[in-house]
Amino acid sequence: MKRAVLALATLALLFVAAPILFSAPKVGEPAPDFTATASNGKTYHLADYRGKYVVLEWHNNGCPYTRKHYESGNMQRLQKEWTAKGVVWFTVISSAPGAQGYMTADAENSYMSKMSAAPTAALLDPAGDLGHLYDAKTTPQIVIINPQGTVIYDGAIDDHPTSDPADIPNSKNYVSAALEEAMSGRPVDTPTSRPYGCSVKYPGSSH
Amino acid sequence: MERRFAAMCMPAESKRDLAVKHSFPCARYRASFLCLTFIIICCALLCGREPANAAPISHGTLDLIAEDSSIAPGHAITLGLHFKLEHGWHIYWVNPGDSGEPPIVTWQLPEGITAGVIEWPTPQKLGTSTIVDYGYEGDVLLLVPARAAANVATAKPAQLGAAVRFLICREMCIPGKAQLSLTLPVRAQAASPDGAVEPMFAAARAHLPKPSPATWKYSARETKSDFVLDLNAGHAIAKAIFFPREESQVNNSAPQQLVSSPTGLKLTLEKADELTKSVARLKGVLVLQSGEAYIVDVPVRPTPAGR
Repeated sequence: MKRAVLALATLALLFVAAPILFSAPKVGEPAPDFTATASNGKTYHLADYRGKYVVLEWHNNGCPYTRKHYESGNMQRLQKEWTAKGVVWFTVISSAPGAQGYMTADAENSYMSKMSAAPTAALLDPAGDLGHLYDAKTTPQIVIINPQGTVIYDGAIDDHPTSDPADIPNSKNYVSAALEEAMSGRPVDTPTSRPYGCSVKYPGSSH
Repeated sequence: MERRFAAMCMPAESKRDLAVKHSFPCARYRASFLCLTFIIICCALLCGREPANAAPISHGTLDLIAEDSSIAPGHAITLGLHFKLEHGWHIYWVNPGDSGEPPIVTWQLPEGITAGVIEWPTPQKLGTSTIVDYGYEGDVLLLVPARAAANVATAKPAQLGAAVRFLICREMCIPGKAQLSLTLPVRAQAASPDGAVEPMFAAARAHLPKPSPATWKYSARETKSDFVLDLNAGHAIAKAIFFPREESQVNNSAPQQLVSSPTGLKLTLEKADELTKSVARLKGVLVLQSGEAYIVDVPVRPTPAGR
């Protein structure tokens, strides 16, 4: 009897929680709060950054599309430029253990040092909870949250969906565009685009 | 030849003066291995049927092939990009889905020969429930229609080149580039099919989505959040999947709601998150449970005001 009640209670809870668990935030909607641990050992809560712009950058250092932006220095340039202007930049690693891009804290710290990466912090999400919360599909994928806690951009880093670094100088960078527009009080011209890259390597994914 | 081989393989002390100093256990095994390698290389160079146009790629091979063994001025010819992929690896459809990138070809063709666009075989659904891609595994032939002008030069063979960029993935992705070439004689008389590859071309054609039967009636409309596709096929359709031809119109990972009726089906397709404007036409491939695949290209009626 007790087990049946427990089972029913769990089902009921899941039924209530499902819309929260399974609906990804769209542009214009509130960014779901999260707590995550970074490679520097600290814990970060999104709610603590109300009043600031927050960038979430999904990352897999083995993916050719991520490498396009890191080996060219493009991503590091963006991180430096925007964190200098007060933006909080979180690199997010949602690769499952054993999958491409999975990093231990030490490995990620070494990688960031070697690549001169300059996010505020690299959030380690091997269970994929943060990834699923935002329905991150590719690496790279960028989500931008404004100081009011609303998602103002969700999509690709730029408009050339290739793995060729030679395309970067000719690309419109959606991240810089959205931050510039929002910071100067203008509407974001391209608030969403198809994110391009490798699929995020969640637990259970074989591709 | 055999005697020389035997001599090379005799114990070290009975060889001719060879001061071979190495830690290899037995000199004769090294010698016979080298000899065998030499023979194999000679064979491959001189007598192999290795096609000059095949390119090894990461986890597979890629060939440029032609349906006919020659080109006839003023006539069409079908070319093919033939991918053979190792188990588990895939390439992508024209709409790759949530991740990935489709193959792109840049042709280098002689004067008078032109190539059209890739005719995409019916794709498979790949990936997981949350990240859905569209593409191909195994043996894939991408057909490309080509044409020779009436005045194309017949004096020398036509050198066809194709620079192909593609992405091949399994649990990780590898961008690939291949430079393919194919030389075909140009002959005034009608070309005959190349028997060696004709079955592959026939199979690839059978894998192309077919035009929907003339008796089928489609209609599509859009709501704020979905496309609704109605099909009157004259008979019930219990199960079907819609593959959207254009990126960023349909949410690839959202379940497609199918309602079957005695005359066909109604499919509700959630719009992609990044779709910000109205869509004029819904294009794609409808694949039935039997595997039959039909081309869909239907105008989208906007939502009446107030709905």
